[in-house]
Amino acid sequence: MMPTHNINLFPTRRDENWKYSDLRSSLNQISKGIESINEPFFTLPDGLTTEEVGCECASLKNISSVLAENYCHKAWKIDVPESFESDQPLVISNLNCGHSQIIININKGGKLSLVEYHESQSNSFINTNIIINIMDKGELDRIIFHDDTHETVRISSAIINSESDTRITQNAISFGGALSRIETIITANGENLNATINGAYLLSESRHCDMTSNIDLLKPNCYIRQLVKGVVKDKSNGVFQGKFHVHRPAQFTDAEMRHDALMLSDTSKIRSKPELEIYADDVACAHGNTIGQLDEDVLFYLRQRSIPLSEAEAMLTEAFVSDVFYSLKDNHLKENILTKIRGRL
Amino acid sequence: MLKINNLFANVDNGNKQIIHDLSLHIPAGEVHAVMGPNGAGKSTLSYVLTGKPGYEVTAGDVLLSGESLLDLSPEERASKGMFLSFQYPIEIPGVPTMTFLKTALNAQRRANGLDEMGAPEFLKKSRALAADLKIKPEMLKRPLNVGFSGGEKKRMEIFQMMMLEPDFILMDETDSGLDVDALRIVAEGVNKLREPKRGILIITHYQRLLDYIVPDKVHVLSNGRIAASGDAEFAKKLEAEGYDAYA
Repeated sequence: MMPTHNINLFPTRRDENWKYSDLRSSLNQISKGIESINEPFFTLPDGLTTEEVGCECASLKNISSVLAENYCHKAWKIDVPESFESDQPLVISNLNCGHSQIIININKGGKLSLVEYHESQSNSFINTNIIINIMDKGELDRIIFHDDTHETVRISSAIINSESDTRITQNAISFGGALSRIETIITANGENLNATINGAYLLSESRHCDMTSNIDLLKPNCYIRQLVKGVVKDKSNGVFQGKFHVHRPAQFTDAEMRHDALMLSDTSKIRSKPELEIYADDVACAHGNTIGQLDEDVLFYLRQRSIPLSEAEAMLTEAFVSDVFYSLKDNHLKENILTKIRGRL
Repeated sequence: MLKINNLFANVDNGNKQIIHDLSLHIPAGEVHAVMGPNGAGKSTLSYVLTGKPGYEVTAGDVLLSGESLLDLSPEERASKGMFLSFQYPIEIPGVPTMTFLKTALNAQRRANGLDEMGAPEFLKKSRALAADLKIKPEMLKRPLNVGFSGGEKKRMEIFQMMMLEPDFILMDETDSGLDVDALRIVAEGVNKLREPKRGILIITHYQRLLDYIVPDKVHVLSNGRIAASGDAEFAKKLEAEGYDAYA
């Protein structure tokens, strides 16, 4: 059910940033959600509330924000007070059909754990546009669980603006959908951002997942580490697009990007586009990208110890993916992620 | 126990005939050694016996306790009791040694209709055997073989052997890369496994391992077949005289 209006808002593969994820074509099989509104469900830690506000026109727009501005007449706002701290996360769920915009302001010194469940059981379209503003000394710890049916089309986007001395850790696990785009745009407006942006996608059948990120560093002394690992089998399709943009004033930037992918079948696909755009001259920036298969000698070694082939493949695949989440501090959430991974292998 | 009858095998999609009419019989309770020049087919023999993909048997048969192995997958042959101690043990990043070993042991038990071994029993057995082989407990928590020296990797092969208790042990140049102390520890581990129901085939270049694990028979593998056989003293003769007589 294609949108009746504004078809041009939805990019095609002719759009450079969407060339591996033809959003417009994917909507042909969608029965709902393209022009409707999603009502997210919030589980709030003590001390936080939600407020319904008008939709925000982001200064930095991506497709998700353009669609949200076009279709949403309201947004949900959560203000995290200065120096706020809680051992309870803010949980966002029910992101299963339609557009929504969520605005989170982490005020000075505030610390927020954010857990998002992007899950749908139907052939819906979902666009979740999250805007997060982190003031000086603020901290964001974000976990994304993404698991849709093979018919669902989803954009999950976060536009994160950070001031000075902030810390961001992000861990995303995706099992894909008909087409899914997990997009993270970070703008470091202040110095001393410390960001770890990790993700993993495990795709089977004909599922697709596009992990796209853009990190803009405007000021000095930022430390960025990004590790994304992907596993594709059957006829699935994995995409990684990562960009670090180091502006001229962003001296002493230390940034590393890495994407490693494992192909478990000859009919699966990986598209990877790592980018470094560097204008400062005293920085340490690197990117690495590998695509490979399971080592046949290792598989034989495991089989020679009575481990059946499928179990050997699962063991090695789990080992490959799990180290993305090695540094996750919350052991309960880590185990949750590893259990989901094991269940799909 | 293990009977190899007129075996022909090739590698490289049939482009290289390596095993050429090889026959060998190793009864239960005996230790046999196979020696021979480089390129004779020693490692190929161990891969063919264990079912490594890429090796094709074109004629002959391999029987373990009367049952043909050739139609069985590598894991099926392993479950029937065939164990290969690798010449170059594999490193497996991200898979702790204990996790790997428990998975292997329980896969073997399941294939043979037995209940899985519980964690406490497994821990007790593994710690005792590791201590015998002078393997430090911390090594068992590390990913399998990652960062281990050559000698440590070989001791880990013996450790697995002792945990899995196979019916037939194939040792592919286990002694390469071992210092004298490691050699002694490895040999002690293997000698503890010598028993009337178990057969052992040692593939080696050098005679010195056979000073510690004294074989019942020694064979020369040359040009893809057994060219000569003898007793333990024969190995010393080969060491002194070389393989030219059997080329």
